Amino acid sequence: MLDVLDRRAVLLHERAADREEAIRRCGRVLVETGAVAEPYIQAMLERERSISTYVGEGVAIPHGVSREHVLRDAICVVRFPEGLDWDGERVTVCVGIAARGDGHVALLAQLAEILLDPERARALREATDVDTVIKELT
Amino acid sequence: MDGKDIRKVIVACDAGMGSSVMLATQLRKQLKGTGVEVVHTPVNQIPADADVVLTHAGLATRAQAAAPGKLVVPFQVFLGDPAVTRLVETIKKGGTVGA
Repeated sequence: MLDVLDRRAVLLHERAADREEAIRRCGRVLVETGAVAEPYIQAMLERERSISTYVGEGVAIPHGVSREHVLRDAICVVRFPEGLDWDGERVTVCVGIAARGDGHVALLAQLAEILLDPERARALREATDVDTVIKELT
Repeated sequence: MDGKDIRKVIVACDAGMGSSVMLATQLRKQLKGTGVEVVHTPVNQIPADADVVLTHAGLATRAQAAAPGKLVVPFQVFLGDPAVTRLVETIKKGGTVGA
């Protein structure tokens, strides 16, 4: 059984010109790790256009609206060290979500804890090591 | 409605899989021991026994349409929004919600 957070879904040195490119990168990772089908990427972009998924501390959590095209509960962590503009906010880390059930809930709860602690949030934004990220989130 | 009469809080977002999950887990923690149930749902699936619906300001109109007559409390930020903090305080200490 695959973990909700596959280590191949943790990319810490990515680059994106804008929010759309960053979301496409997250979606691509979810496709490549077998969590979603291709059309899910479009759903992620549409969701973002309605309301920003920025959650604070330089983190956004792009995801689609329905369970359609989702193959399993999964998240990806994609870090953009240079940061990018996210509808007026500065984002360094994207936590992309694909959910069919509740497999990802514990991990999002953990993410909320991290973001409410400025020190841990900073550590997540500055993480350059895959194991550190997985350890923090799981 | 008085804060002490609240038994069930719904956190509604469009998908019910991302931001509402994060906020709901935080609320459950803050309301631990009060007996108040916190549930996250998509905005079009708000259950009939909800006492209060928390939702992002951009979804408040849809939430109200989906749950006519329910008290809808909008918030702007997913973590640490003053509207959410106020609701938690009111549930714990009593007082009028949505005033």
